[in-house]
Amino acid sequence: MTSTLVTDPVIDELVAICGPDNVFADRSSRVNRARVPAPFPVHRWAEHVPDVVVLPTTAEQVSEVVKLANRHRIPVVPRAGGTGLTDGAVPLRHGIVVDVKLMNKILEIDLDDRTVTVQPGINMLKLNEELQQYGVIYPDDPASYPCSLVGGRIGTSGWSLIGGRYGHTRDLVISFQIVLPTGELIWVGDGGGRKVRKSSTGYQLKHLFMGHQGTLGIVTEAVLELVPRPEAEFAAFFSYPDYETAWRSTGALAKSGLATLAGVVLFDEWKLDYLRRDDEAYIPQPDDVRCVVATAMYGTTDEVRPGAKRLMRIGKDTGGAYLGDEISQGDWASRHDRYATPLHGRLRDGQVVPMSWHCEDASINWSQLPQVRREWHEIVARLGDNFRIFDDWGMFAYTNAAFKPWGDYLTEIDVGIWEQELDDAAWDAWVTAKRDIAAVAIAHGGSISACHGACRAGEVDLVPEELGGGWDVMKKVKRVLDPLNIMNPGKYLLDEAYE
Amino acid sequence: MIGFRLSAERPPDPRRINDVVVQRLDHVYEVDPELMRDHIQQHDFPAWDTRRIVDSRWEHLAWMHAHWADSVVSGEELISTEE
Repeated sequence: MTSTLVTDPVIDELVAICGPDNVFADRSSRVNRARVPAPFPVHRWAEHVPDVVVLPTTAEQVSEVVKLANRHRIPVVPRAGGTGLTDGAVPLRHGIVVDVKLMNKILEIDLDDRTVTVQPGINMLKLNEELQQYGVIYPDDPASYPCSLVGGRIGTSGWSLIGGRYGHTRDLVISFQIVLPTGELIWVGDGGGRKVRKSSTGYQLKHLFMGHQGTLGIVTEAVLELVPRPEAEFAAFFSYPDYETAWRSTGALAKSGLATLAGVVLFDEWKLDYLRRDDEAYIPQPDDVRCVVATAMYGTTDEVRPGAKRLMRIGKDTGGAYLGDEISQGDWASRHDRYATPLHGRLRDGQVVPMSWHCEDASINWSQLPQVRREWHEIVARLGDNFRIFDDWGMFAYTNAAFKPWGDYLTEIDVGIWEQELDDAAWDAWVTAKRDIAAVAIAHGGSISACHGACRAGEVDLVPEELGGGWDVMKKVKRVLDPLNIMNPGKYLLDEAYE
Repeated sequence: MIGFRLSAERPPDPRRINDVVVQRLDHVYEVDPELMRDHIQQHDFPAWDTRRIVDSRWEHLAWMHAHWADSVVSGEELISTEE
């Protein structure tokens, strides 16, 4: 099903704006831009197919496309890498998908003020390959590092694996240019200086547009932070006989005060069961390896080596056993690239089936992790009791704060779903489970999402509860900036802004 | 399978590692084929191709380390110097 708004004259206008080679109305181009890796009702794929796809090359073209959409009241959905684990790039009302992949240029490298200016379609791995010759990196490091794009990172306000040392996307993007929902081009940052990291001038508008999930515009250029390329990396994985010991050790490691510590990751017993079944690094581990804590440090060699010695002592003193270089270095390297993992899951009789990875995330304080873990696994177990297509793949808890790896954790439960078997009953049960997972996060003082965004079906119902009075402000902002509800309509329950 | 260099083509018989995993080649674990009977189609896989994929994976991980930093500090080395 498509909307009837995108007529041939509209296609002609889009061709006039973007050029004949950058407008696609064929079935393949549209169907392939209907979904992302987030939970998706594959049996209702047709409901999310856009009418037309454009790949602009300039900010001015993006602006003209958005103005056209306003004139014709056509929905616009921006799309970058399409790797998001919430459905920001999924069209809910068909319309125009603005794919920014051709806007992938490095515009300036400023080694004096330590910035790089890029278009939104560039990937961090490719960017860092270029930056390596200058001895600097842009340290935004999601699990989709080789395939996600800067524009999408801003759209989701992404989380970085090494954010405890270097910060997350919101900290690493200094300023950016955005096409507003009505087509105007503006720059937002801390104040007005495009390379200024700290300003007290005016409202902090950068954060307003960070994590907008395509509802407040389309980012067309960004100024990013550069940091010295690390001389040394150190990764250490520790094993534990039980969750309680591993959880306490995680807290001790994260609060060590070691400045080069970039992140700490806690694997629970369900995760170890999953890995012991399907991951070559964990299959040979002895039975008393019930939980794992991973740590990583980056910096100068003079900082990392003594810090690593201290870290090893803390791990040992808090009950951990070092798992060795092979698993520590190998597994850590693989964490920069989790989207390359081929996936299968198990039915309860043990038979292997093709499954997709679905990761439900939340921000949870360290003190609440054990109880949240219990309640989340109970929710997924009930799901599996009723539908054989769901498989509990265990939980990770990653340090979540910027520049300091303590306090709260990106807490995720990974669920395998046999997507080909989805039907309305299974999808509805899944959405209910996601809502329940989000409710647990809120009940324990957390936030529905640490890194993906909270607009997925199910959990989005609880966004007003989490934000309280802030939800009314969010709706007012949406209505003022997007009076015709053009940008990604239906997303984040923001249709309520127009009621 | 073609009829020469059979050792490169034909993997050794599997040995059981645990209830759900078997092993034919060093450091290469496979799901027990009995668990891929109902819903997953299996096909013959030459040993050389398995080795190529495993080697490529290790090369990729080594590349990723070099991508992020000039050197990697060894935990095992730190432990040995502490003792």
